[in-house]
Parts: sequence; structure tokens; C-alpha cells
Amino acid sequence: MRTLACLSLALALGCAHSPPPAQAPSPPPPVAAPTPPPSADAAAARFIPPDAKPAFEIPVDAYTLANGLKVVLSRDTTAPIVTVAVYYHIGLRIEPRNRTGFAHLFEHMMFQGSENLGKLAFIQLVQRNGGILNGSTRFDFTNYFEVIPSNVLDTVLWAEADRMRGLKVTQENLTNQQGVVKSEVRVNVLNRPYGGWPWLTVPQLANKNWYNAHNFYGDLTDLDAATLQDVEKFFKTYYAPNNAVLVVSGSFDPAQVKPLVSRYFDSIPRADVPPIPDLTEPPQTEEQWKAVDDKLAQRPALAVAYHMPPRGSPEFWAMALIQQILVAGPDSRLYQELVQKRGLTGEVGGGANLLGNQFNYQGPMLWMAYVFHDASHNPKEIVSAMDAAIEPLRQAPVDAATLERARVKARSAYYADLETMFGFGRADLLAAHALFDGDAGAVNRIEPSLLAVTPELIQRTAQEWLRPTNRTVVALQPAGGK
Amino acid sequence: MSRTVLAVALLATGLATAAETPPAPGPTPPFELPATTAFTLKNGLKVTLVPYGAVPKTDVSLALQLGNADEAANQTGLADLMGKLLLQGTTKRSAVQVAEAAAGLGGELQANVRSDQTSLDIECLGDSTVDAIRLVAEVARTPAFPTAELARLRGDLQREVAIERSQQQPLAEELFFRAIYGNHPYGRVLPVAAEVDRFTLEQAKALWTRFAGANRAHLYVVGRFDPAAVRAAVEEAFGGWGKAKGTPRPKPAPRAARKVLLLDRPDAVQSTVRLGLPAISPTSPDYIPLVVTDVLLGGIFSSRITTNIREKHGYTYSPRSVIAVHPGVGTWVETADVTTKDTAAAVREIVNEIERLRKEPPGDEELAGVRKYVAGNFVLRNSTRAGIVIQLRFVDLHGLPANWLRTYVQRVEAVTPADVTRVMRKYIDPQRMTLVVVGDRKVVGDSLKQFGPVKVEASR
Repeated sequence: MRTLACLSLALALGCAHSPPPAQAPSPPPPVAAPTPPPSADAAAARFIPPDAKPAFEIPVDAYTLANGLKVVLSRDTTAPIVTVAVYYHIGLRIEPRNRTGFAHLFEHMMFQGSENLGKLAFIQLVQRNGGILNGSTRFDFTNYFEVIPSNVLDTVLWAEADRMRGLKVTQENLTNQQGVVKSEVRVNVLNRPYGGWPWLTVPQLANKNWYNAHNFYGDLTDLDAATLQDVEKFFKTYYAPNNAVLVVSGSFDPAQVKPLVSRYFDSIPRADVPPIPDLTEPPQTEEQWKAVDDKLAQRPALAVAYHMPPRGSPEFWAMALIQQILVAGPDSRLYQELVQKRGLTGEVGGGANLLGNQFNYQGPMLWMAYVFHDASHNPKEIVSAMDAAIEPLRQAPVDAATLERARVKARSAYYADLETMFGFGRADLLAAHALFDGDAGAVNRIEPSLLAVTPELIQRTAQEWLRPTNRTVVALQPAGGK
Repeated sequence: MSRTVLAVALLATGLATAAETPPAPGPTPPFELPATTAFTLKNGLKVTLVPYGAVPKTDVSLALQLGNADEAANQTGLADLMGKLLLQGTTKRSAVQVAEAAAGLGGELQANVRSDQTSLDIECLGDSTVDAIRLVAEVARTPAFPTAELARLRGDLQREVAIERSQQQPLAEELFFRAIYGNHPYGRVLPVAAEVDRFTLEQAKALWTRFAGANRAHLYVVGRFDPAAVRAAVEEAFGGWGKAKGTPRPKPAPRAARKVLLLDRPDAVQSTVRLGLPAISPTSPDYIPLVVTDVLLGGIFSSRITTNIREKHGYTYSPRSVIAVHPGVGTWVETADVTTKDTAAAVREIVNEIERLRKEPPGDEELAGVRKYVAGNFVLRNSTRAGIVIQLRFVDLHGLPANWLRTYVQRVEAVTPADVTRVMRKYIDPQRMTLVVVGDRKVVGDSLKQFGPVKVEASR
């Protein structure tokens, strides 16, 4: 079909097309003592031999400035372009209870003016020098990135440092962006059939911890309530160099880039960043069934969501392979069962972290599979078909051919992640591993870790994590009046 | 030269608000389009090979002169059904075997049906390129078109159509393009349920058989592969592929007319707006000036319309203007989803920006920045495998000269403020535009009358 814009039903947080979408959390009322996330380093070291090498190795030069800013350089001279990405370790989960959607709203404010660049000046600086830019708010980070001709690197590093140093936001600009963000929520959620399905809807139903279970896009009244003080406080709390990573990847001169980074970023003062609140989800012991009404939808939809094992654990890597086996592409078992064999739907979507990929979150996380179907098939029938695809993984180790295909697909998908958006994807993975694992070079352990997953580990992982009692089933019902 | 101008512009921006100014960019790095090797098989199949990139993957795309534009008047969507059927196996292998074979190469075979072309595409691991070419050839040459799958796939298409028709944006586009192209296939954007119900296997198969053949196809291979081995594999896999007759397409006759079309969506919190008119295709000498003008006017975030209706007024989140082209024809259209109560105000502001740019030429600095954006974006688009395939397909689809890509940047850099004024006045005339609004009639209906008599459309 031929519509102008490709209107994906699986629309993720609508940051892709137009510049700054943002969802900003306000300073977290830090909750009780957080359990530190399991160290991926330690888990990876347990899981793969220390000298394991990927087939495609990414150069990584990582260091930390005195103010705590992590810097990652990764050279690739395929094209005369370079990505600059700044990731702040503050995601959309962590926002005050009366300010839902603030993390994202705040992201928008990062485009509204800094010390030396007025409103729109940052965007013009990038676009009118031949580059593209965006920001996005995700579960565990907020990012700002530019893909630019290599001659603009100096300019853009300066500009990113300028807004890390301080914002200059007026009430007028805040009011304007409250309007823009409310428009964003309307176009992506309120005025759209399946709006927020399943990425925004399902976490609210499957999770118990408020941080993981609130409306990340924000209630319109909460968005309206945000003040300039909230903006300032949030910036001071989270947007510090010691809570961030700067990635430069692509075509650059290694001898020039480090002095530039020092010149612009060295003098930005560090800040005391509060600990991340307790984000843990209580272990789930009973299957949950939930229903939601959608007054704009014409066909029902259904999602199942399982809690994921912790980042970096052997089971985490097994889930990456399971994703390939169950839900990635038309050879996958869910596709074959639901589409090809039973004709219940035309496609099956899903995987871990629908706002990103398998590797760029810290957790907790859900693993989902979802379909759009006709009213002639009821939710129980759909779930029963899903079980017919999933249960065999829990009953016996996968055969060699299935494992080999999953490995090839996982490798290929990882390469595709690296290449997303003109190579921005490489910067994204480097930043995620620097932020969450304290080691950008852990990117080069992705391939060997995927290859180290055994049929036995897959079965054990499926037994524990793909338990029906570890899942939430959400059925979306069309509820239109006409 | 233009760099100096830009640096001055940025300096000015900086001075207006702040003490420190951004360091000026260095000299633009040289950019060479990746080298291509092109050849044609005896049966007419055109082939373009582009060794490219660092990541060990390859994109294989077999593009055919066959698309929705070849559907008969009561068959809108038949090509989409045909595309689904193509993936249901070959005379040698079942659907699941084809899917597993593609997965084993690190890819997924897709049949992408568009208005003017259909392509069989796979992105595979680089060392599997030869096998990917064989798989694509097998599907193209010996698709099974199994009867048993027809009812299921027709049901899938019906569901997709129902979902598309429940969204405002596709409905707005259906109205807009119907107004421009009438009953030409370019004016039939969405399938109609009652027609889909009547599609037969024979119709879908006949569409494929009539239009799919070596003489109407172009194979693009871009990525990391062994060119000699790939060339040999192409000759072996496609050498025996026959030709197809095809049928000439009806000639589109786009119509510009000042019209206001309203489709009622009771209680919608936003209105979906399309405002535009027929423009030109890439073969026009004015195409590049129009591309630059479009970017300045509404094509990017820092464009005039977006700055106005988003950053000044907060009416909308992601407005954008687009030049949508088919061979020989094209349209310019502004797209936006705006808060219901602000619908007329937003349209008024869009028209104001159009009129302003028709009256006064843009400043040198603003235009220099936009030229730089278009040139820089061209480099980005030619720096990924998928982007390279799209660029090459575009040149071939529109029958553009061989040096079109090579001279693109220099033609962009030649666009002057006077060119912008000229193409604005010639092509982007609000008096001849069609306005489509999908939204809450009881709120917006009266306010739209200022743009002309409002015709209320019935939903299909």
C-alpha cells in the first residue's frame, strides 16, 4: 500500500521522525536501598572465555575525564561522516509520581536553549551544516545524538558541551513544548488506534513497581503541571558529566578528537547524582490476564509479556537466542504456528525492549510477543497457539539446525543494530555498555556470548522465564461506538 | 565560498544570544559515490554490483517494473496480495523452507510492493551473498502461488486494510491523492474491502506473470561480497529467466484545484491535514531547486513551517512537507496532525509561510544552510547499503541520466535565492491547492470555510 509515511503499527516512542521528542523524569524521590544490578562484567566473564573474539570487532578507545564523563571513541572511515552521542543515565522510568511524562518533556527542553545557543540554534547548527539529529527518552537513558559530515565534529562537540554545562529555558519555551509534547501524545496515543500498543500499554499492566508501571508518556494534566523549577532541578540532578557518556564514532582524526573533548568538557563540574531508586519487580508467581478497550481500533490485538532475566546473566544471552527462535522473522516458531499453520494473524511482533533492542537497556524488562487478529478468534485460542510454539522449548533442548539458524540470525541482527541510522547504532551500543556495564568494550563480547548459548541453557531459561506464571496476557478489544 | 557565508551566519546567531560562538566547521570532506559495476544479461536483466562497507553484510534487491500502478480499477491491493503469495514457497520448496533458507543466510526474504515497483529483497551475511542471489532467483522464477494459502492471505490483507482505514493519516492520503490523480491507480491509495473479497488466485498470478521477467527487472547487490563469484552466480541463477510482456500503464493526469475536503471523525482530538498540489518529477530541471526549496519551507525540523506551527505555536508534533514522485509526475504536500481547536489557525500559518516565501527570497545564509543540509543528507543516504540501493533504484525508475547522482551535490550548491522564489511562484501556489482535513467536523467544519467551500466526504 502506498501511504506517504510508513505508518507502523508497532510504532515506538515517536522520536524517529521528528527531532526532539522527550520524556523526562523529574528527580526521583529515591526509594529504599536499591539492589545494584547484577554486574554484566562478572556474568560475561563467567559465561564466555575471556579471550573470545567476535567475527566483526569494533575498535574501542574508552577513557574517563576527571569530572567523571565517560568518553568512547570508535573509528570507522567507511564514509566521511561521524556520530556524536551523549547519553545521560536517566530514563523514563524515574520521574516523580505527580509528573508522569516529565523525563520525556525534559528531553524536549534540551533543544530549547543553552548558555550560548538560543532556542532552535542547536538544531539549525546541526541541520544547516549537513547533519541530522534527534533525542530520545528510553527506559534507562536519555540520549542526544547527531550524525554529521566529519568536518562538523568540532562544532557539534562544542554544542553538546554547551548544553551539558547549562540550559537557558524560558517559561514561554516550556509552555510551547508542553503543547508540542501533548500533540505528540495525541498523535501517537490518544488519537491513534492501538496508540501506545503494546510498548506503553503492557508495562503498565504487567509490572508492579510504580517506576516500571506508570504512564511514561505522561498524563496531560501532569505535563501541564510541570514548572521551570522542575526543569532546573531535573537538569541539576541528572545532567552531570559523571552521569553521562560521550561517544564519537565514525570518521575522525584520533589525534585531534581527544584535545577537543578535553577543551569543551573538562571544565564542566561534576554533581552529586542520587542513587537509582529500587526498580526491582517482585517475582511473578501467577499468570495475569488483563483486558484493555480501544475505541478507535477495528480489530482485536493480543500481547503476552514475560519478565526477563537480569542483564548480562547467562539466561539473558539465552533469551537473545530464544528471541530469534520464537519471534524473529517468518521462520520463527510463533510465526510458523500462528501465521503459516493456523492463520490467526498475518505477523507476530515482539522481543525484549520494544523501545530499543536486546542490548540497550538495564532492566527490569519485559519480553513480549503480540499480534493483531480477527474477532472470530478469541484470546484463549491465540494464547493456546502461542503455547504450542513456546512449550517445546521448555520440554527439550533445541535441535542443532534450529540453534545454528538462531545464531546466524542473532549475529546478523546484531550487525543490523550497529548500522541503524547511518551508523548511529554503533554509538548507541557503545554508550549502553559504557553506562550499564562500565565497559564500552563489552560490545565486542556480544557475538561470543550469543555463540556460547547452548541448547541446555536455552531449555533451562525457557523453563524458568517462559513459565506461564511469569507472564501477563493483555487482550485489546475494539470498543468503538460505531 | 558558501562555507564562509555560513560561518558568518552562525556567528550572527551566536552573537544575538550569547557570549561564546560555535567553532566554525572545517572544509567539507571529499565524498566519492561508491564505485558500481553494471552489466546486462542476454535476457535483458540489468545488474548493478556495489562492493561497499565495513560490516560483513550484503543487500540483494531484485526490482521489477510491477506495482500497484498496474492494478485494474476494481483491483486496488491485488499487487499486495500477489506480494504475499510470492512468499508462499516455490515449485521446489515450501514457504517454511524458503523462510528457513533465508534465515540461514542471516536474512529474511521480503516482497515489497510499491506503487511503481515491486522488489524481492534480502539483507544477508556477506559470505552468504551467492546463496541469497540463488534464493531470490528461485522465488522470482518459480513461485508456487499455492491455492491453499489464498483465503488466509486475503484475510490478512482485509485486516491490514481495516487497520489502515481506522487511522486518520491513511484516510487523509486516500482523499488527497484521489483529488489529485482521480481514478488513476496513483489516486487509489487504499484497498476496498468488497474488492479484496473478490480477488482470485488467478488474478494475482496473472499480474505476476504478465509483468515479472528478466527484461523488466534490475538486480542490485550492495555490500561485502566477492564480485567475480557473485557475477557468476547471477549469470547462472538468472540467465535462463524468461521475458515478460507487461502492459503500458495509463498515463496519469494530475489535477490542481482549490478544494477543501473534510472527512468527519467525531470527537477526534487532532485533525490530520494534507495541503498540496501537483508539482514535478525528478526529470524536470527544476526538481533540485524544488527539493532545496521544500526543505527550507517545510522539509526539516528547522524549516519555516515547522518552526512556525510547532516551535512557535505548539499546534503539532511532527509536521513535514514532502515531494512525492512517480515517473513523470509528482506532488508537493504539507502533512501535519494538529490539535483540533487549532486546525484552521495551523492551516492559515502554513499558507502564510508559503506566501511569504513566494513574495520574498530567502536570505543567503538561510539558503546556504539548507543547501548544506541537502548536500550532507545526500552523503548520508549514500553511506548505507540500503540507502545506496534506494538511490540507484530511484535513478533507474525515473530514467535519470547516468551522472545524476554524481552531479547532485553540485546542482544543489547552485540553487540561488532567485531560484527559490521562481519555483515557489511557479509550483507552490496556495490558490491551486487541495486541502484535506480528517477531523471533528462539529468543531472544525465552519472554520475551514475561510479556505473555500467545504465538501464533506463520506468514509468508505
